[in-house]
Parts: sequence; C-alpha cells; structure tokens
Amino acid sequence: MAPSSPPAIAAVGRALPPHRVEQETLIEAFRALWARQHFNLERLEDLHRAVRVGGRNLALPLDQYPALDTFQKRNDAWIRAARDLGAEAMKRALEAARLPLDSVDHLFFVTVTGIATPSTDALLVNALGLREDLKRTPIFGLGCVGGAAGIARAADYLRAFPDQVAVLLSVELCSLTLQREDLSIPNIIASGLFGDGAAAVVLEGGGRSPARARFPRVRATRAVFYRDTERIMGWDVVDTGFKVVLSARVPVLVRERIRGDVDAFLAAHGLDRSRIKHWVAHTGGPKVLRAFEEALELPERALERSHRALEETGNLSSASVLFVLGELMDEEGEPPREGDLGVLLAMGPGFCSELVLLEW
Amino acid sequence: MSAPSNPDSSPPPAGAPGEDELRRQALVEIRRILGEQRAAAASANVELSQALVADIHLDSMELLTLAVGLENRFRVKLNEADSAGIVTVGDLVDLVVRRAMAGRSAP
Repeated sequence: MAPSSPPAIAAVGRALPPHRVEQETLIEAFRALWARQHFNLERLEDLHRAVRVGGRNLALPLDQYPALDTFQKRNDAWIRAARDLGAEAMKRALEAARLPLDSVDHLFFVTVTGIATPSTDALLVNALGLREDLKRTPIFGLGCVGGAAGIARAADYLRAFPDQVAVLLSVELCSLTLQREDLSIPNIIASGLFGDGAAAVVLEGGGRSPARARFPRVRATRAVFYRDTERIMGWDVVDTGFKVVLSARVPVLVRERIRGDVDAFLAAHGLDRSRIKHWVAHTGGPKVLRAFEEALELPERALERSHRALEETGNLSSASVLFVLGELMDEEGEPPREGDLGVLLAMGPGFCSELVLLEW
Repeated sequence: MSAPSNPDSSPPPAGAPGEDELRRQALVEIRRILGEQRAAAASANVELSQALVADIHLDSMELLTLAVGLENRFRVKLNEADSAGIVTVGDLVDLVVRRAMAGRSAP
C-alpha cells in the first residue's frame, strides 16, 4: 500500500469557563490567606503581578472556592466542570472541522488537574452521544507537555489508521487543585500563574480530506526526556490533593537544552530553524517564554500569540499550547500559507520536551 | 530538627535580644530554611563566609523562599534594592539584623 499523507489537524476548539476574575481581584482574595503566615504581603502581590497574567476564567465562582476544603470536594467539582467544559470544547472543534460527533473513532483525553474513573472521556460518551465503539485513551500526568504529546500520540495512531478521526481533548482546571494551606513560594507563584480551560483538537488521518481550505499536517514528532530531573516540576500527591512542585530550574533547562533538541529534530528532517515560519510555544510563564525566544533566537513577535494567551488566561497547562495553535489556525489577518512550516513545542514534568513539526 | 518557635506576630518584649543574639538567631534561621529545601545535613554547615549563589548554589526560587522566611521570622521587609549588596550569608545576616534593630527603634 502506498504511504498516505501525514495526519492533518482539522480544527481546534477552545472553551474557557464563564467566571472571569481579574488578577488584582484574585490578589485581593489571596491577601488574607497569605497574611496568616507571611509578613511582607507586597512582595507576594508583586509575585502575582510579575507572572504577566491579566486574569483567569475560573471553573467556579470565586466565592465557592473556600468551601472546597478537602481533596474529595475539589475533585468532585473537577469531575463535573471538566465534563461540561470538555464537552463544550469538543463540540466547537467538531463543528469547526464540519464533522458530526459520531465521526470520532478515538478520543485521547489529557489532564493533570483531576482524576475520575470512569474517566472524563467515558463521561463524554454519554454526555455527547459518542459512538459505542469509540476507542478511549485517558492520559494523566504529563502536565504542561500533554498538549504537544497528545497531538504526537494521536498522529502516531492515525498513521496506523489513516481513514479515521481522532480527537485530542485537554481539560485543565488548575484552580481546583489549589492547596490553600500551602503558603510556600512555589505554590504562591503557581496560584498566580495557572488558569482553567479546555481545548479539543480534531485530527484526520492522511487518507481523508479535511473540510477546511488550509490546515497543517503533522509531518514529524519527537519526544526528548531529560534524565534525573524529577523534582523540577510535578505534584506531590498529599492527603489534601495535588501539592505543586515547581523549581526555578525550568527556564534554566529551556535555555540549556531546547536549542540543541530543536536543531537535532529539524536536522533529522533536512531542515533548520530559518525554515520555520510559525512557532507555537507552550505559555509556561514570562521567564519560560523569554528563554524560548533567546535560546531559539526567534524574531521579535514570533511568540506574540503565546504572550497574549498568557496575559488573557494564564498558563492552562496542557491546554495552553493548543489554544495558541487554535489562534494561529484561525488567524484572519495573515493566515499561514500552503507550504509554511511550524514547530509546536512544550515542556513538562519528567522533565521532558515534545516537539511537533507542522506543515501547511 | 528543632525549629525556633515564633508563630506569633507580637513585637519583641522590652528585654528583646541584643545584636549579637539577633545575629546568632538569623544564622540559625537561615540554616533552618535551607534545611527545609535541601538536605538538612548540608544546611547545618552553612557558614557566614559562604556565598549564597557561588558556594551554596541557591536558585532564584530558593533565594526568594529564604528572603520571605527571614521576613516572616524577624518581621522585617527586605526589598529589591537590598539584594544588590548581598553576596554572602554574612551579608544577609547583617541586613536582617540592621532591619530588625531599625524596626525596634521606630515608634
């Protein structure tokens, strides 16, 4: 059998929860909590301003959070909100791809902010009326790299089944993981940086013809694992839920490793960085974005969409890079042209990177 | 590990510790905070002459945690401008003691 085209990304659907709260309002809400242990509150307020996030869309109204004082209460709220927001993102994505809900053959579901069994993808079979022979792959634990890794794994699958449709759904409700009693600096930074959102990516196998006039294909992917860096990012799972592990080494590692990894990846496909027109970078935070820009010697404004996404929604963990991809694909001013190349990249707990080479 | 217990925000009493005692307490507190982030055995050996970054290899998150911990323990504020002259553990102890003594003489 002749090899078919690489899998195509037909559409990205995005959904933000309705409860918009500006950063200054959140700072105000956190002040009383911080004052229980901390003396210099201005310093902590400055930390929340330094992450360059304008506000977050929260899964629940702000006044409902204090009552969520156990892991069970937070996770129960997560299960309901993740199902509803995930359904919204999936409906939007399939509508944009002009495909019916029952066209989906495989649903990859990624998250790192809540757990459910049956998993959220199963709840969506019922909520959305998906097919009974739907193949489901729930993926927990990849953190911020999950969006990029999810595209890569869905593309791997479609290379084996080129006539099928796969959806990657990422739902991250970071606000429902907040450990209010953890007044450590990493947790205070995390509570200023991370937000809630869901993104669904419709991928079609190379044997199919997506409805949209112009779309990228997943030409190649690469996973890169950084040995012995387990404490750089992650969760400590404690009695009250997920306690954040976050080290200042994250931007350092980006600076040390990402250029070599990207160059090696591109070289394996006969390319170099000068050929890449579009950079779709995970919105880790201002320091991480600056590290990407400097290490990869990117032109000014190359990561403008990532900066804007950070400002508008905060870091949405695995969903962030998918929001940025969606913005690029739906760009009306100067949309990507046929033949354009792009690199989608994210890093996450492991510590590790996932790189995706896109071709329009 | 025996952490100094000072959970309350009450101001120092009339018989507040003198400068030498404050210096001793600041070093103990630095060792305690570092011990929470690093191996306790290594932090117990931290000395005044050691450089925070060059010798102890603290990263920005650890430095911030250290500054916030000292602020909480001694009820002082250490700002961005302060950090310019701080290289060693001794510099940091001096700064904390200076701020704590100044805060004491204020009304």
